[in-house]
Amino acid sequence: MTDFSNALEVAASGMRAQSTRLRHVSENIANTDTPGYRRKTITFQEAMTAENGLGLVETGRMQLDRSELSQIYDPSHPLADETGNYAGSNVDLLVEIADAREAQRSYEANLKMFDQVRQMSSSLMELLRK
Amino acid sequence: MTITAIPASQGYLANRPATTPDPNGGNAFANLVSDFSQTLANSETAAMSSMTEGGDPHTLVQAMAQTELAVETAVTVRNKVVEAYQEILRMPV
Repeated sequence: MTDFSNALEVAASGMRAQSTRLRHVSENIANTDTPGYRRKTITFQEAMTAENGLGLVETGRMQLDRSELSQIYDPSHPLADETGNYAGSNVDLLVEIADAREAQRSYEANLKMFDQVRQMSSSLMELLRK
Repeated sequence: MTITAIPASQGYLANRPATTPDPNGGNAFANLVSDFSQTLANSETAAMSSMTEGGDPHTLVQAMAQTELAVETAVTVRNKVVEAYQEILRMPV
């Protein structure tokens, strides 16, 4: 196919990767109060397709954050130990919101690229109409 | 009369091979058309899967954008061909 449709495919892969990232962020936010929950992080990697060598992006393996779980004092909680504490999640809402905002910005950048490719291709065809 | 007719027929015979149909000539155009119909089929598949099975919306938008460009190209080229044909028809014989 042409460079235009390849560029469309690359931009769509970027949008797909960012929406996967946003999904993990919303899973983290939804499980902020889940006892023992560890926040999920994902990585991005370049996916080389064998046939045309396009540099698509894809999300790598999901990993769990190994940092310390927060200790919450609540003696009435069923999971509380003898000191009255139980292990909460290690989700930091501030980090998650920042991550979500970054995903949004990257998504918008990919969307702009998509739209620009479409406009360029369309205006090329416009030349033939005259 | 025959003196002028002979060079004319010779010229006709000399130019005749140019008008014989070339069996391999239409392949490029056939590939173009099959590529075009493949793009249309892709977008239909993506649209159906996103409506019925909750498929990826990015795939749908990408397929739709590619179809839009393909149809635009096909229509523009067709208009050019028709325009050229009408130009030939208007030629004073």
